Amino acid sequence: MNHLTPDELIDAVEGTLDPARREHLASCELCAREVASLASVLSEARQVEMPEPSPLFWNHLSARVRTAVRAESQPGGGWERWLRWPVLLPIGALALIVFALMTALPRQGMPVEGSIAGSTSEDVALTDDGWMLVADLVGEIDWETAGAAGVVVRPGTADQAALELNAQEQKELSRLIKAELERVKS
Amino acid sequence: MADGTAIRPWSTTPPTEWVVKVINPDRDDAALVAESVAGNREAFDVIVERHRRAVYQVCYRFAGNHEDASDLAQEAFVRAWRGLKNFKGQSALSTWLYRIAVNACLSRVGAKAPITEPIETGDTFEDTRIEDARATLLRAERAVAVRKAIAGLPKKQRATLILRTYHDLSHQQIADILGSSVGAVKANFFHALGNLKKILGSEP
Repeated sequence: MNHLTPDELIDAVEGTLDPARREHLASCELCAREVASLASVLSEARQVEMPEPSPLFWNHLSARVRTAVRAESQPGGGWERWLRWPVLLPIGALALIVFALMTALPRQGMPVEGSIAGSTSEDVALTDDGWMLVADLVGEIDWETAGAAGVVVRPGTADQAALELNAQEQKELSRLIKAELERVKS
Repeated sequence: MADGTAIRPWSTTPPTEWVVKVINPDRDDAALVAESVAGNREAFDVIVERHRRAVYQVCYRFAGNHEDASDLAQEAFVRAWRGLKNFKGQSALSTWLYRIAVNACLSRVGAKAPITEPIETGDTFEDTRIEDARATLLRAERAVAVRKAIAGLPKKQRATLILRTYHDLSHQQIADILGSSVGAVKANFFHALGNLKKILGSEP
């Protein structure tokens, strides 16, 4: 007859082995030894008690849970769950970077006088190096020279806002873009 | 008072706002869940009080130390609060909480064996008889070795062993908690005991 399977060995250790298989166990030294060995290690594991924490701990744990739950919204969650600083700060930082990029880059479909003939923003797939170049340009461009050269941006656009940045603001924008690119690269 | 509003006349019926806050600790889990879902955090406090020991113990068996176990137990209850709306009462609340606690442990406790607490020798030397003290110390050392061995088991085996050995859950309950079958639970239990035997057998 076949030896006991792992399932049956566990049943034997727990005293729930099928009577038909008990006959095999009674006559098979190998299975009997295996069952005894498993029972022995289980018995040893059972004897290991968990250290009892201080009686004060239970109320402390309840208080911790209560504080954490009070900081949550209704069970199941709602939009209020997002109104927490640990969530808002990274989202805010990301939004700032996106805004900085939007104001620094030429908008799609908005031709810029003086640009290379036939090229549009759609033609340019900017790689990270491309973004680096943009960041450098934003930081280094002399807008008076650009204006004199005929580079015109429609008033009221985000681009105009970028043009109106002073030198320090342009430098900061450049720094933000570079930092973001470094973060993406890493 | 002249306008009749400043002092509420004595009445045997408490004001409505008090009724909402007072939770009978004898209420069953289903009622407490319903009240919690309705936004009554005091009802959830009672659930925490009722199940905190079991949840903490599961976490302790997993983490092997008090500090991590406390953090995991707190995390489990916060997860439970968030997911309370999804609890449909198909299993006992305790089983559902076990599942959350085990999942919190499985996601937080790495494959690396957690740091287990050292032997507590506080009781060891209360007994002045040297032989008894030595036996107690040996038992304590062996207990640490067993805990360490359990902590070193693969996650599913560890979860199965802990829930079966220390929490006396049925194979079916463990299968529900781990999202597996009874057969898989028994197989995991078998391998857990086998591995434990090997690890402990190689201990000095």
